[in-house]
Amino acid sequence: MNSAQIEIQLIASLVALACAIPGTFLVLRKMAMISDAISHSILPGIVVGFFITQDLNSPLLIVLAAFTGVITVVLVEYIQKTGLVKEDTAIGLVFPALFSIGVILIAKNANDVHLDVDAVLVGELALAPFDRLVVSGVDIGPKSLWIIGTILLITTTLLIAFYKELKVSTFDKGLAASLGFSPAIIHYGLMTVSSITTVGAFDAVGAILVVALMIAPAATAYLLTTNLKKMLALAAFFGVFSAISGYWLAHLLDASIAGSITTMLGLLFLAVYLFAPNKGVIAVMYREKQQRIEVSLLTFLLHLKNHSEVEERHVNHLREHINWQKIRAKTVLELALKNNMIAVNNNVVSLTDKGDTFTSKAIDYIITNEDAQIEDMKDDFFLFRG
Amino acid sequence: MDLQEYFSLVFSDYTLRTITLGTAILGAVTGMLGSFAVLRKQSLLGDAISHAALPGIAIAFLITGAKDSNTLLLGALVSGLIGTFWIRSIVKKTHLKSDTALGLILSLFFGFGMLLLTFIQKQPNANQAGLDKYLFGQAATLVESDVWMMATVTGLCLFVLLLFWKEFKILLFDADYTKTLGFNTKFIDVLITSFIVLAIVLGLQTVGVVLMSAMLLAPAAAARQWTNSLSKMVFLAAIFGAFSGVFGTAISASQTNLSTGPVIVLVASVFVVFSFVFSPSRGLLFKQIRFIKNRRDLELHKTLAFMHHIAETHDDISHPHAIKLLNNFQGFTRKTLQNLVEKKYVTLDGNMWSLTKTGFETAANLYTKQATEDE
Repeated sequence: MNSAQIEIQLIASLVALACAIPGTFLVLRKMAMISDAISHSILPGIVVGFFITQDLNSPLLIVLAAFTGVITVVLVEYIQKTGLVKEDTAIGLVFPALFSIGVILIAKNANDVHLDVDAVLVGELALAPFDRLVVSGVDIGPKSLWIIGTILLITTTLLIAFYKELKVSTFDKGLAASLGFSPAIIHYGLMTVSSITTVGAFDAVGAILVVALMIAPAATAYLLTTNLKKMLALAAFFGVFSAISGYWLAHLLDASIAGSITTMLGLLFLAVYLFAPNKGVIAVMYREKQQRIEVSLLTFLLHLKNHSEVEERHVNHLREHINWQKIRAKTVLELALKNNMIAVNNNVVSLTDKGDTFTSKAIDYIITNEDAQIEDMKDDFFLFRG
Repeated sequence: MDLQEYFSLVFSDYTLRTITLGTAILGAVTGMLGSFAVLRKQSLLGDAISHAALPGIAIAFLITGAKDSNTLLLGALVSGLIGTFWIRSIVKKTHLKSDTALGLILSLFFGFGMLLLTFIQKQPNANQAGLDKYLFGQAATLVESDVWMMATVTGLCLFVLLLFWKEFKILLFDADYTKTLGFNTKFIDVLITSFIVLAIVLGLQTVGVVLMSAMLLAPAAAARQWTNSLSKMVFLAAIFGAFSGVFGTAISASQTNLSTGPVIVLVASVFVVFSFVFSPSRGLLFKQIRFIKNRRDLELHKTLAFMHHIAETHDDISHPHAIKLLNNFQGFTRKTLQNLVEKKYVTLDGNMWSLTKTGFETAANLYTKQATEDE
């Protein structure tokens, strides 16, 4: 590994960390698409900043771009408040318009400089180590490293300083307001941080990777935990992991680093989406199946309780009567037998004492619908799954 | 070339005619289908799909090795559909909200597409030039066969829309009711979503990934302000979309260095802003005017009611009172007093005012009317 490779991985990891923090709150606040909007609409800010300073490295560009990002949020909120269209439509109207203005400004006035729309959207991390910061003749490392490092430092400080406020205002706006910290200040603070992070990061990695790094790690983490601190830590971990493994994937395929990092993020999300213990698709499907069986079992027991006639309780008749397929009837029958709810004599099913008590309880619950009863029932239900 | 020259050339010049027709048809079809996206609160779906189409384009190119635009669009369609249905399944199966799902699929698919594109670039035999036109769109690359294809798809869309109009409409406004009526909501839902994806994929070549979502939203959002009827909205959105296409092409053709896509989007945005401000029933301007008028009426009524209250304590309703008395009352302004005089409810005599008979009766009526309304 040479020093350029280390620097690239370091920059990518810092970007991932800097994005994970605001990203987590954006995902929790259901504002993930705002990051996409900001990442596009800062373009005119950068272009105007360039016109004023004629210097692509001027810090004014970052300030103006971040300012445009905040303007985007304000515009979206203003349009939404008029009630003429819904929030998502407002987002979809604002950012393409601003982006178009940016593209046209570049095409009309800045065609000959290095301000390429491709570069803005896609970014080229591989070039980041060549743009170095030189202070009084001494090379102190790539410029992006310093920019994103500073942003990460500020973001982390703000996160630690305002953790409580952020947490409360994210989960309960009303409570936050009544406790005396203004949700509006927190909201615009978060928007400003997201905007600055986007600008700082996209100089190095491009707009799309910024959006991916904001949303994907946080969304992946959210599938694994509901604890905010754990979610932040997991999101940071996923971000850094994808940044480093993505870099090596790009190295292997000789392809875009940003694209590879995003692909790694995608694979991570896919894995968690499928296999997460409680909220993964497979776990959810399994749980749904269990619940269906439980409901079937209850239906079956209620049927037995309602009918004393022998012919109503014959195994074959049950199949026809409740209209279950063979396999489902068999599963339910076996489950009930295993839990000693029923007894079968000559293919005639009858409730045991235990089954009888349980079914009475169930009917009781269905009629009264009291919470206390379901708690007892739950214990019994766990028995069935055995 | 200025605008006039453009319009004189548009019928004779092959390139101009093709591009103008193409963007007009594209605007019409996206406006039409965009109405459904906006009303179904799927506005940002367009943004997500247009990004999600990229890996499909790249994979189609990798498989066939050819730059045939129909094959590439087919790839885009497939990956757009996969993205759309993945978004739905994320929203349905997990507790992630739709905005997270959209942003996730959008960025992940696009990033994967970039990976594939750069991978293709490094292939020795591949000539990938032209693939990145899908990123930003280049209306200039449209040829007659593309326009025919757009027209065919638009015709198909229109046919299906008319065929299932009732179903689409009822699904839009009451999905649960549609289900109880026995319609196959899933089928209708998949049908309309697939058409939205198809329209977006068609537009990629012309206006590009980033601006496609605006083409879907802007005409529909503008049309929504002018009518409450779905059929009128769809029709208006198609018109707005087509006009945005034509004007956008005209403006960009009349200037050097202006790419068509962004200009079309800006023209569509102008339609939106105009509609937001000037639509008679929902627009901000008339809303503000109504608001001011209502406030004025209220002030007038308040002053009149207050005067009536004072006058009631006297036997003679026209007993003159000093204007100072009204100063206790905040709603009093010279202007409202002047208005009342004009309506002949009040007569002014120097610094003294007195209610006229009509004024007293109106005020009494006003009062009783309010009293009965309060009950």
